[in-house]
Order: sequence, then structure tokens, then C-alpha cells
Amino acid sequence: MPGSKAIIGTASTLTVLLAWEFVSRVGLVPERFLPAPSVVLAALWTMIFERDLLYHAGVSTLRVWVAFLIAAAMAVPIGILMGSFRWVGAALEPLVDFIRYLPVPALVPLSIIWFGVGEGTKIFLLWLGTFFQLVLLVADDVRRVPHEFQETAMTVGAPGWRRLTDVSFPSMLPTLVDNMRITLGWCWTYLIIAEIVAANSGLGFVIWQARRFFQTPEVMAGVVTIGIIGLATDQIIRALHRRWFRYLVR
Amino acid sequence: MTYLLFDKVTKRYGDVEIVKPFELAVDQGEFIAFLGPSGCGKTTLMRMVGGLEPPSSGRILLRGEELRAPDRRRGMVFQSYSAFPWLTVRGNVAYGARYRDDLSAAEKREQVAHFLSLVGLTDFADSWPNRISGGMRQRVAIARTLAAGSEILLMDEPFGALDAQRREFLQLELRRIQQEEGKTVIFVTHDVEEAAFLADRVIVFTRRPASILAEVDVTGRIGAERTLELREGTEFFALRNELLHYVRSTATEQEGAA
Repeated sequence: MPGSKAIIGTASTLTVLLAWEFVSRVGLVPERFLPAPSVVLAALWTMIFERDLLYHAGVSTLRVWVAFLIAAAMAVPIGILMGSFRWVGAALEPLVDFIRYLPVPALVPLSIIWFGVGEGTKIFLLWLGTFFQLVLLVADDVRRVPHEFQETAMTVGAPGWRRLTDVSFPSMLPTLVDNMRITLGWCWTYLIIAEIVAANSGLGFVIWQARRFFQTPEVMAGVVTIGIIGLATDQIIRALHRRWFRYLVR
Repeated sequence: MTYLLFDKVTKRYGDVEIVKPFELAVDQGEFIAFLGPSGCGKTTLMRMVGGLEPPSSGRILLRGEELRAPDRRRGMVFQSYSAFPWLTVRGNVAYGARYRDDLSAAEKREQVAHFLSLVGLTDFADSWPNRISGGMRQRVAIARTLAAGSEILLMDEPFGALDAQRREFLQLELRRIQQEEGKTVIFVTHDVEEAAFLADRVIVFTRRPASILAEVDVTGRIGAERTLELREGTEFFALRNELLHYVRSTATEQEGAA
């Protein structure tokens, strides 16, 4: 039942928060390492109203979405082609696999040489981290489309390329949305790396600034902001998934 | 001219022979059952009619024209994944008519409504395939092939996953629809009773590599009309036993069954 699930989720979160508050308050851990949730909340409050936290959150979210949408817009058609035509898959897979295994941080210096320290570098790094993952996931999902569906399309007279739009795409769409939800999460990892290395705006920048002055509550407030954005995005996409793919419910 | 002709058709995958040179002539409007043990190659033969696999040698001719690539003259009904889950029942049937250029949009709608009613799914037209029974999904697939204007229906154990009552009911329905619409059917099954009840002619296959073990003229023995009463009669019983005998003989060689 969704009601009881929400209650359990809220209760467990509250328990963790209370335990954390207790540990900090009685001084089991020094406050400069682990400030209490109430202190972090207070820091969050000041940062929102005095230090443009929402602006930085907005900048970060925009970077994530721009890079992610570019990556997805490329990965979906290319992945469908890779999964549908053996020779496209054979041609691209070694290259994609090679790049997929490169850790994104290792490419930061190269990216700065190519794109400078502006938005180009950030978008490139995020794109790099998601495109090559997503394209392989899409290709695999297309290969998993039941052959019966393809053959049904063939025997009602659908031309070859129509099978991609009539069958492959709609058949894999629910899994695609799930995979996109997961890769969107990875985007945030790469974003923070990019913003720490080269930025004067965004949540990564805010967190890194606070660290320089040992403002642990501010560091944690920045981290919590990312967590909240992630949680909200995830829940929204899940809700849309349920709405769009009602036909999957038996 | 022969309507549908298998002309020395063979199939092999590498060194493995799947189908021995196969010859068969099928009349228009005839209901043929391919009966044989699982994996014997009967499905492969049926898929070759659909153009979904090429023969290794030989030809399959429809009115003298060699069949190659799939098109909507031969429609498929599979055992599973028979309807697209993302389309409604009506959407699935309409997909059959989607690539017909011989019909106007209004005629297509008319045809879709007609075939939905023919398979008894008018009341479920707006349902999602996942929310209806397996038997209904098979009827969706049958209506789709009819909407596509297919003259030959290729059915690969379409009722294999259904319980006994639904199965019997759908067999009656299929036979009625096939007679009304005058379609030619190739029906692959390993169920002796199903083959005997549905077909005009049963082709019994040997184990792989597939070849014809026996050919039984069902309509000549029990007539073209199939009813539940007929199913309980002695003629049908004798026919069923005869087929069962052939099928058993394919098992004895390797499994030692009596």
C-alpha cells in the first residue's frame, strides 16, 4: 500500500535524523565534523536568504539538464540503430565501451584544454559521463524487444525503418525512462566534480567554498540540497512513469 | 494451379539438418495442422511460409509466385507476445490495417470494427492487452491478421498457454471464423486432439530433421462442420487415436516410451 510505504519511509528518516541530532548534541562527535541536523537546517536557511543558494542550485540543475538532454537526444537514436542493425553495433561498440570505462575525472584536464573553464567543459564532462552509458543501455534494451513484436510488424506490411518507430521504440520506452532516471542521477556526480575544478557558480562551487573556511554546516547544507533535488526529481519521474505506462499494470 | 506449394523445401543451420526435402500442396481455404514433437522443425517450415526465414533450398509458391520477404498476405499469430501492450485492443487490430493502401481511412475503421465484433471483443475495444485474458489476447491477434487482409494465417501453437476450457472455446471460434472468412490456415501444434478438431488435413511430422510421417484427411472422415458433440463421437475418437498412434511412434525411437 502506498500509504503505509510513505509512513515507513518518513518514520525511518526521522529516526536517523533524531539519532544524528542526539549524537551531535551530546558531543560524541565534534561539531566541526558533524553538526546537528538543526544546525545544518539553520545554515540552509541563511544560505537561501543571504547567499543565493537557490540561484546556485538553479545553475547546477540547468547544467545537469542541458547536458543530459543532449546526451539522451543522441543516445536514443544511436542506441536504437546499434541494437537494431548488427553492423552498426559491431562498428560502434568497441569505441563506446572504451570511452565508457574512462573515469570522467581523468578527462577533466583534457576537457579544460579543449573547452576552457566555461560552461563548455561542464556540459562536455556531463555528456561524456552519461552518453556512453546510456547508448549501450538503449542498444541492449532494443535487442531485448521480443522478436514476435518485430515479426508482427513485418507481416502486416510495415516497411523496415517503420519497425523502429512502430515497435522498437514504444516497446522499450518504459525501460528507457527508468534508465534515464538512473543516468540522470549520475550526472550530478560528474557535475560536482566539474564545479569543484572550474566554476564560480553552482552547488559544487558553494560546497567547495564553504570547505575552504571549514564551514561544515554550510558544506552539509550544500550536500543536502543536492540530495533533495535528486529525491524530488526521482519521485517526479517515477510518478510520470506510472502515469504514462498505465498499460503495464496487470 | 496449386494455391500454396512447398517445392522440395529444406532447411539446415550449419551442419544440422532441420527440414528434409519437403513437398506439400495446400488448397485455398484449407485448414492444415502441422502436428509433431517439439523442436521437430514444423515451426521452421511455417516461418518459411511467412518469409521470416529463407529455405536453404527449394521454393514456396503462392499461386505460382515464389514467396520471399514477409508481407501482409501471410499473417502470424504467436503463442506469446501476440498483442502490443502499449496499444489498446482496438489499436492492435487497427495496426493490422495500418499499411493497407487498398482501403480509405473510413473503410479501415469499418474493417476494424467488423473484425473486433467477429472475434467478440467489441466490448473490450478500449482495454489494454495486459488487463484481458490470454484467450482474448489471442483473439486480438487473430482479428489483427484479418484486418491486415492476410489470406493465409500462420499460427504457432496459439492456444498453447491457455487452460482447457478457453482452449476448446477458442478452437470452436477459430474454426467458425476460418470457415466464414474462407482463410487458409497453417496451424502448428503438438496437441493431437487440437489438430484433429481444427484441421481439414493433419500433417504428422517425424522427429528432426522434419519429414512427413503421415497425412490424415480429417474432413473426409468427420466432415467440415466441427461441434462439441462431434468431439464426443466415436468417429472423432478413432481419428484421435490414429493420430496419437503416429505421434507415439515418433517418441519411441529416442525416449523408449510405449
